[in-house]
Amino acid sequence: MSELDYPEDLRYTAEHEWVRAAADGIVRVGITSYAQDALGDVVFVNLPTVGDTVAEGDSCGEIESTKSVSDLYSPLAGEVTAVNESLDTTPELVNSDPYGEGWMFEMKAAEVGAAEQLLDVDSYREQLD
Amino acid sequence: MTQTDPLTSPLHERHVALGAKMADFGGWQMPIEYPGGGVLREHTAVRERVGIFDVSHLGKALVSGPGAADFCNACFTNDLRKVTPPKAQYTMCCDPETGGVVDDLIQYYKGDDEVFLIPNASNTTEVVARMRAELPEGLTLTNLHHDHGIIAVQGPRSAEVVAALGLPTDLEYMSYADAAFGGEPLTVCRTGYTGEKGYELVMPWGRAEAVWDALVEAMAPYEGLPCGLGARDTLRTEMGYALHGHELSMEITPNMARAGWAVGWDKETFWGKDVLSAQRAEKSCRLAWGLLVDGRGIPRAGCVVKNAEGAEIGVVTSGTMSPTLKKGIALCLLDRGASVGDEVVVDVRGRDVAATVTKPPFVQAGAGD
Repeated sequence: MSELDYPEDLRYTAEHEWVRAAADGIVRVGITSYAQDALGDVVFVNLPTVGDTVAEGDSCGEIESTKSVSDLYSPLAGEVTAVNESLDTTPELVNSDPYGEGWMFEMKAAEVGAAEQLLDVDSYREQLD
Repeated sequence: MTQTDPLTSPLHERHVALGAKMADFGGWQMPIEYPGGGVLREHTAVRERVGIFDVSHLGKALVSGPGAADFCNACFTNDLRKVTPPKAQYTMCCDPETGGVVDDLIQYYKGDDEVFLIPNASNTTEVVARMRAELPEGLTLTNLHHDHGIIAVQGPRSAEVVAALGLPTDLEYMSYADAAFGGEPLTVCRTGYTGEKGYELVMPWGRAEAVWDALVEAMAPYEGLPCGLGARDTLRTEMGYALHGHELSMEITPNMARAGWAVGWDKETFWGKDVLSAQRAEKSCRLAWGLLVDGRGIPRAGCVVKNAEGAEIGVVTSGTMSPTLKKGIALCLLDRGASVGDEVVVDVRGRDVAATVTKPPFVQAGAGD
């Protein structure tokens, strides 16, 4: 793994997840470059179910590496609208492409603009130091 | 226990230079995995080619003097007299009262007057203390933890790599040879903890970097990798090898762990002989088994194992995703009555994961070839 990167156009959480706002209040959620590097090789991802209603900070899934397990948290309150089913068979996408093919799930935020309240890239980077 | 600075291996600077992820192992700061590798790639390198592991955190102690071998044989479970020098033997140090396992270790049978011990890092002090308390007059027991480095070379191409350093490789499984590298002593032993053919090299502390550098160069043609202790754990779990603190402990006896093959039951004495013989005859203790997960999910140490009716029948002692099988595997202790093929359920943090009872190893490997 080379230098860890943190795209400018995303929002972040203290639990090392990223949120990308899409159309119609839908946001896509994944884990950051830092998180996948800290976990090591991801071998199993347990995702929430489409239709699940989640509160901000809820544990809604698990990410397992060869050595450890960590919770997947919902960054916002809302309803799960899609999950990345390709992680069932290719969990290594979380390591190789954490901001792209390795995304976790999509949700419709209960509150419009809620994602804007999360950390911007500079704030996230600051708390990594 | 007081808080102290973590101990570091003689190869610490090499690991830092490689950018290894470091973690505490029995008070020692050791590499878990290396950049460009990672547990899965390092694991595969050892199964298919070759990898090198710094295991300098392992303990080292020397018992010497007239009757050193007899003394070790009266302490530890295995019968040292079943082998002849120069051989290494797997054995256990048990508590005389409970039969619990203080540590499992390798003893290098150098001669009747000299036995070199390799206990686990965190148990070395305890093993040495228990031996010292009963050390017969005329014998010397020296803790050499910081006198030697140990590097394991493991994998089907390990012989080529070790031979490239001018070292002897034509050794039977568990045999060793006292050799030299760069004019300094180096012991080569056909041992390992991965299931693959391999060697463990024991050298003076100050020579570890030179040996490591030479191995890195020698394994390059085979695309060998430096491997961290993360891969060492997935490799040993696939083989069903016990790790002290998981499959063996003060609560888990050799009988429970099915390690009776490493107990000299006919010996006159060893620590724990009475209590272990009684437990062996009683045939009621839980026994070690393997679990192969049927679908998705990874059992972890401490997960409860239930039978098809939902009754608790055991506990997971180690679990991981098998990099070779791409399935969840686990080592566990189950109540008597279990057998190969039984369908069980593992409670993985509240989720029921179906698994089948098996007898490890989970994969076939070439350690004894």
